[in-house]
Amino acid sequence: MIKVKNLVKTYSGEIPTLALKDITLHIKEGEFVALMGRSGSGKSTLLHQLGLLDTPTSGSVAINNIDVLSLSDPERTKFRLQYLGYVFQEYALIAEFTALENVYFPAMAFGDNIAIERATELLTLVGLGDRMNHYPSEMSGGEQQRVAIARSLINNPKVLFADEATANLDTVSSEVIYKLFQKLNKELKQTILMVTHEPEDRKYVDRVIFLKDGVIEEEKK
Amino acid sequence: MNRIDIKTAFFIAYKTIVKGHKSTVALIVFILSLSFFNLMFVSGFLYGFSDGIMKSMIDNATAHIILMPQEVPTSKSFIFDQDAVIAEISSIPGVVGAVRHYQLGGTLVYDKNNDGNFKYSSAQIIGINQAEEKKIISLNKAIVSGEFPDDLKNDEIVLGANLSGGFGTKQTKDLGGATVGSKLQINYSNGTTRTYTIVGIFSLSMVGSVASTAFISDSEAEKVLGTYNNASEILIRVDLEKNTLEQYMARIQGLFPNLKLEKYTTRLSTVGILITAFNLIAVIVSIISIIVSAITIFVMIYINALSKRRQIGILKAIGIKENIIEVSYIFQSIFYSILGIVGGLLVIFLIVIPIMAVKPIAMPFGNAVLVYTSFGITINIVSLIIAGILAGYLPAKIVARENILKSIWG
Repeated sequence: MIKVKNLVKTYSGEIPTLALKDITLHIKEGEFVALMGRSGSGKSTLLHQLGLLDTPTSGSVAINNIDVLSLSDPERTKFRLQYLGYVFQEYALIAEFTALENVYFPAMAFGDNIAIERATELLTLVGLGDRMNHYPSEMSGGEQQRVAIARSLINNPKVLFADEATANLDTVSSEVIYKLFQKLNKELKQTILMVTHEPEDRKYVDRVIFLKDGVIEEEKK
Repeated sequence: MNRIDIKTAFFIAYKTIVKGHKSTVALIVFILSLSFFNLMFVSGFLYGFSDGIMKSMIDNATAHIILMPQEVPTSKSFIFDQDAVIAEISSIPGVVGAVRHYQLGGTLVYDKNNDGNFKYSSAQIIGINQAEEKKIISLNKAIVSGEFPDDLKNDEIVLGANLSGGFGTKQTKDLGGATVGSKLQINYSNGTTRTYTIVGIFSLSMVGSVASTAFISDSEAEKVLGTYNNASEILIRVDLEKNTLEQYMARIQGLFPNLKLEKYTTRLSTVGILITAFNLIAVIVSIISIIVSAITIFVMIYINALSKRRQIGILKAIGIKENIIEVSYIFQSIFYSILGIVGGLLVIFLIVIPIMAVKPIAMPFGNAVLVYTSFGITINIVSLIIAGILAGYLPAKIVARENILKSIWG
C-alpha cells in the first residue's frame, strides 16, 4: 500500500536541519501502524511527507502503486482528496461548517451526489448522529475529533493518516477514538498510519515503528 | 474549473459570509457603499454640470441644430425664402419647431442720465419673432426686469444683463445700468441708426455670448437690413427620443444640401472647453474611485484571508483545489461589491437626489442636478464588480499559495 524508499527531508535555513534520514519502510493494505518516538524524532514530519502535505528532499514514495512524488501540485491535491484521509491533533474542522457539512464537504468537492447520505452514515458510525447540525464551537474536543475522523473517511480513502489525534483529549475520549480506529481497521480493512507518543497506544495497532533522530530505530509487531 | 468546483467555491463563500462576523461584513459593505457613492456622486455631479450647461445652451440660445446660409460654392448672406425652408423642416417627424434669426451688428449708445455722458457698447443684435421663438427657446424665462413680449414692436428692444449692466458682475463693455423704459440708440454697421425703448432685460450665465446680445423684432430687422422673408440662421429643436441628432442633421442636409448645418455643441466656445475639462475630471475621479474601491476590497479580503489562513490550509490539506479557494474569495468580493453598489445606489437615489430636489445647489446655469444615464450607471457597476473580482482574487491567491503546514500551524 505504502512503499517508502530512501526518504530524506531537510529543512533549509541558516543551519539546515536533517529531519528524516534515509527512511525506507513498507506498510501493507489494511495494516494499522503507529509511528512512535520522542518529540522531534521526525514522526510527524514522516507522516506529512507520506500524506503529501509536504515534499521530501529526496527518496521515493509510492501509495497504491502510484509514485506520488512525481505528481504535479494539482494532481497531488486531487490524490489527497481521492485517496487520503487526515485526522489532525487540533481537529482542523472548518469553523463555519456544521458537523454534517464538515463531513460531506470533501465528497461534495469530489462530485459525490450522495455525499449527505454518506456523511450522515459516518457521523452515526462515530456516534454523532444527534450532533450533525452543530458547529465545531458547540462540540467537545472528543466530538470534534470524531467529526474529523468521519470527514477523513467520506471519500473512502486508501490510507488514513492520524497525527497525534488524541493529544488534546482526555483518557475517555482518547479511548473512544482508538476504539473507533480499531473498528475501522478491523471491519472496513482501513489502512491507518498513526503518530503517537504514548507507549500504551501500541496495544491498539498491528505494528509500531519507532523513530529516533530521523531514522527508524526499530519495528515491533 | 468545472461545475462542481464552482458549486464548492460558492458553498465555501456562502458559509464564510453567513457564519462570518456580521460586524465585519457590515463594515466592508459600509466602506464599499461609501466608495460607490463617491464614484456615483462625483461623476453624476460633474456630468450634471456639463449637462446643465448644454441644456441651458439648447433652451436659451441655439436649440439643437443651427441652419446657416450657403457657404460654397459662393457665400450667401441669408437663407432665402425662410417660410418655405421652415415649413419643410417642420414637416420632418420629430422636429419640435424651427425659428429664424436675423443677425445684425452695431453699436449701442446709451445716455443713462440724459447729461451727454454716453456709454457705447458693440453688440450682436438678433431679430426674432418672439411668439414663435418661445416655442423652442425659453429666454423669456430668464427675464430679470420688464418682459419679453410676444409681439415685440419695431421700436422695442430686449437686452442681455451683461449688455445693460446693473445686474451681477460689472462687464467692461456694458451700458452702465440701462433700465427698462429708457431709450437707447443703435448705430448699425450698415449705417442705419434707430432708437429703441428697452422693454426687458434677461440674465443668463455660462451660455456663451447670449447674455451680451440684444433682441429686436424680425420685422424691424428686415427694415434695417432691407430684406424680406430671409434668415441669417434657422434654429431647429428636435425630439432626441425619436431620432439621434445625427439622423436629423442628415435628413435636413439632404433637404438643403447647399446650406450649412451646425450642432449646438459647436457654439459652446469656451464653455465647451470647460465641459471637456469637467468630463475629463469626471473620468479621472471615477478611475480614482474605482482604484480606491479596489484597494479597499483588496485590504479587506487580504485581512479576511489572512485570518482564515488555517481554514485555507485545512481546505488544501483535505484536497480542495487552490483555484476553488480563490474563486470562493472572488464570490465573497462580488457579494460585498454588490451590497456596496446597492448601498451606494440607495443613498444616491433615495437620499441625495430627493434632498437636492428640495434644497438645490445653485450653479451659474441653474440648479445643480445629478445626471445619470443607464450606460453610465452600468459602467460604474461593472467597473466596481471587476475591481472587486481582481481585488478579491489577488489576496486569496497570495494566501492560498502558502505551504499547507505553514497555513495550518503558522
